[in-house]
Amino acid sequence: MSEQLKEILSRVAGETLEKLAFMFSFPEDERGTIILDSAVAATISFVGPFSGTLVMTVSNQLLPELAANMLGVDDEETTLDQQHDALKETINIICGNLLPAIAGKEVVFNIDAPVIIAGVEAIKKVIEDHDNKPASIVKLNIEESECDLLLFINGKFTLAS
Amino acid sequence: MTLNILIVDDSAVMRAMILKTMHMTDLPLGEIYQAANGQEGLDVFNQHWIDLVIADINMPVMNGEEMIDRMQENPDTKEIPIIVVSTEGSKTRIERLQYKGARFIHKPFSPEIIRDTVRDITGIGVSDE
Repeated sequence: MSEQLKEILSRVAGETLEKLAFMFSFPEDERGTIILDSAVAATISFVGPFSGTLVMTVSNQLLPELAANMLGVDDEETTLDQQHDALKETINIICGNLLPAIAGKEVVFNIDAPVIIAGVEAIKKVIEDHDNKPASIVKLNIEESECDLLLFINGKFTLAS
Repeated sequence: MTLNILIVDDSAVMRAMILKTMHMTDLPLGEIYQAANGQEGLDVFNQHWIDLVIADINMPVMNGEEMIDRMQENPDTKEIPIIVVSTEGSKTRIERLQYKGARFIHKPFSPEIIRDTVRDITGIGVSDE
């Protein structure tokens, strides 16, 4: 089931980035986890038939390009607020599309507002605060930048057929 | 006729994306107003004539569904066409919004989906095809 979950998370993230920001992503399973010194994270939590949190950590260098592509402007024209807003909207859309892909369209989830986490210790804390290991980890290469997605799920869950 | 449009979304980037998408279409755009939540959206109706609302659902202060309910309680706003642009994946919730008269577009969206839905719901621009 973990391989299926990973495939779903990777596919949903890839489709979202492509449609939302015209960015192509490729799985990078072999590399280590993203270097937190030069990264920013966003988290989003959800409650439904099962609860959990999705954490998306991206290289700092990806942020201006993500925001610029979404807004249709040059990289240097985007502000930090816009870059963080772009990351929050991206994880929001990934999560919104991920949950029905996992649990089916008949079930209802309440999804919290996404939150930006900046700084090595703050990102570490978000990841380490979970009692359980991630149900799925996806490492992506997006336009030569790194992106890690960690999906934490509390309790038992089953994949919709 | 031009369309005065109200875009309601708590993400400024998403509002800008929808606005950019609207400009990519050949729809006759009038004034475009923006609001960051349902309450701000309702406040716009007191000041401006609006022909079409494009709204998110999950927003702080007042969510999109409550804004739709309030619009339907008001004779001045109940006939205004509404397009919900959201990540909502629950069939139950989507059907509830559609029952309230809203069209639903799933995020991420393409410019063509926005254009075609606006044309369909307003009847504007269809004869230009």
